[in-house]
Amino acid sequence: MKELKAVKVNDNHYQVDMRGWMCPYPKYAVATLLEKLPPASCLDLLVDCPSATKDVPDLAKNQGYDVQKVELLTEGEWLICISNLNHS
Amino acid sequence: MSCKTILNGEGKKSYVRQSLKGGWLRIFAEPWPIGVGVFALTITNLYMFMYARALGVFPQMAMWGSWLYNLVGIKTESPFIPYPVKPIYLDMHSLIDIGIIAGAFGSSLLAREFKIRKEDWQGYLWGAAGGILMGFGTVLMPPCNVGGFWVATMAFSLSGPLSAAGLLLGAYVGGKILQYQMHKALQKLDFSTAPKGETQAVKVLSRQPQWGVLVFSLTLLIAVIYYIAGMPKNAGLFLFGILFGLIIQRSRLCFVAAFREILVSRDGKVMKWLLLGMAVGAMGFALLKAQGYQPEHMVFPAGWHNIAGGFIFGIGMVLAGGCGLGILARSGEGYTRSWVAILTAMLTSGAWVHIYGQKVGQGWLYGKPVYLPQLWGWGGAVAFIYGFLLLFYFFILWVEAGKHERA
Repeated sequence: MKELKAVKVNDNHYQVDMRGWMCPYPKYAVATLLEKLPPASCLDLLVDCPSATKDVPDLAKNQGYDVQKVELLTEGEWLICISNLNHS
Repeated sequence: MSCKTILNGEGKKSYVRQSLKGGWLRIFAEPWPIGVGVFALTITNLYMFMYARALGVFPQMAMWGSWLYNLVGIKTESPFIPYPVKPIYLDMHSLIDIGIIAGAFGSSLLAREFKIRKEDWQGYLWGAAGGILMGFGTVLMPPCNVGGFWVATMAFSLSGPLSAAGLLLGAYVGGKILQYQMHKALQKLDFSTAPKGETQAVKVLSRQPQWGVLVFSLTLLIAVIYYIAGMPKNAGLFLFGILFGLIIQRSRLCFVAAFREILVSRDGKVMKWLLLGMAVGAMGFALLKAQGYQPEHMVFPAGWHNIAGGFIFGIGMVLAGGCGLGILARSGEGYTRSWVAILTAMLTSGAWVHIYGQKVGQGWLYGKPVYLPQLWGWGGAVAFIYGFLLLFYFFILWVEAGKHERA
C-alpha cells in the first residue's frame, strides 16, 4: 500500500491527506496519527469516505482529543480538524 | 387587521416552507442515526417478503458472471438454481441489485457525497482479492452475509446462526489485514520533518443535488416503463432495490463493520443494533410463515460449509470494503474498489458449476436445508432464534467488557 505523508500548514498545524483511503482505513489510522502528533498541535485529516466523518471524530473524542470541526470541502470530501491541546 | 392577516399568511407559509426544508435536509442531507437505518431496512425487507421475496443480492450477481461467460462463448450454467441465466433487464431479482446501485447513486448525489473514489493498483488488487474470496464464499455458505446470515436467521433457517460464526472470524482476519496495511503505511510518517504544504480551502459546490433529483426521476420512469410493459414485479423489486440503496447510503449502515469491529476494536455497537432489528424482523417472518406463506423461503442447506463459507466470505467482504449489499451501494457512491470487487466476485461465483460440477446446495459438500419450525415446532424455533440473538448480544457485551477492563 502507498505510504501516508504529513505536511506542515503552519506552526503546530499539520495535515494528512487520506482521500482515496476507503473506510475503515481512516478510523484505523487516526489513533496512530494522534499519538505521533507533536504536543499542542492541530491535525487536519482529509477524507473522502462518508462514514469516516462519524467514525474518526467519535474515536478521537473517545480518546480525549478535541474535534474542532468536520467541514465539507467539496462533494464527497471532508476536512476533520482534531487538536491535542487539552489531551491528557 | 390587514397587517395581521398578511403576517398570519406569511407566517404560515414560511413555517410550512421551513418545516419541509428541515424534513428534506434530515432525510436527504444529514446522515440517519444507525437505529433508524436498521429498522428501516428490517421493515422494508418484511414488506418486500410480503410482496415477493426477502433481500439477498449475491445469487443474482453470480448469474451475471455466468451470463458474461456465455457472452464470450464459454457455455456456463448459473450456480444458484432459482436464478437461471437470462438478460439482466428481464430478471426481476437482478433489478433489486440494479436498484440498490441506482438508489445509493441518487441519494449520494442529493447529499453531495458522490465522488469517483480512485485507488492505486494495490488497492484494486485487494479489492479483486476480496471479490474472489466473496465469490467462493457465497457459493459455499450460501448465499451471502445479508441473505445467508441476516435474512436466513430471521427466516428460521439453521444455516443463519452457523454462518454468523464463520463471518465473525473471517471479518476479524480481514480487519487485522487492514490494520496491518495501515500500520505499514504510517510507519515512516513523521510530523517533525513534514514539508510545508497548503491548507485546503472549501471549493465551490456543483449541482449534485439537482442531479440526484434527476436520477430518482429517471428511476421512477424506468419503473413505470416496466409496469406498462407488463412486468410489474420487475418494477416493484426495482423500487424496493432503490429504497434499500437509499437506506444503506443515508444511514451508513455497514454489515461488514458490524462483524469486523466486534473483535478488532471490541466495539459491537452496529451488530447490537442489527440484533435488535433481527428480533423484530424474526417476529414478522414468524407471523407470515406460520400462516403458510412461503415457509421454505430463505432456508438454506445447513452444515460445516456455512461456517467455512462464512469465514472465506468474511475475509473477502472486509478486503472488498463491503458485503454483497455494501459493494453494490458503495459502487453507486463512486468507490472504484467496489466496481472491481463486483466484477471479480461475479466472475468467481459464476464459474461455480465448472469448478464443482454441480449447482449450489447439491452434492457431498452441502447438508440438508434445516427449517427450525419443522424440527421443533414454532415454540422451539422461536425460542432457538431468540436464544441465539440473546447469546450473540451477551457475547458482544463480554468482548466489550474486556476493552473496559484493559482501559
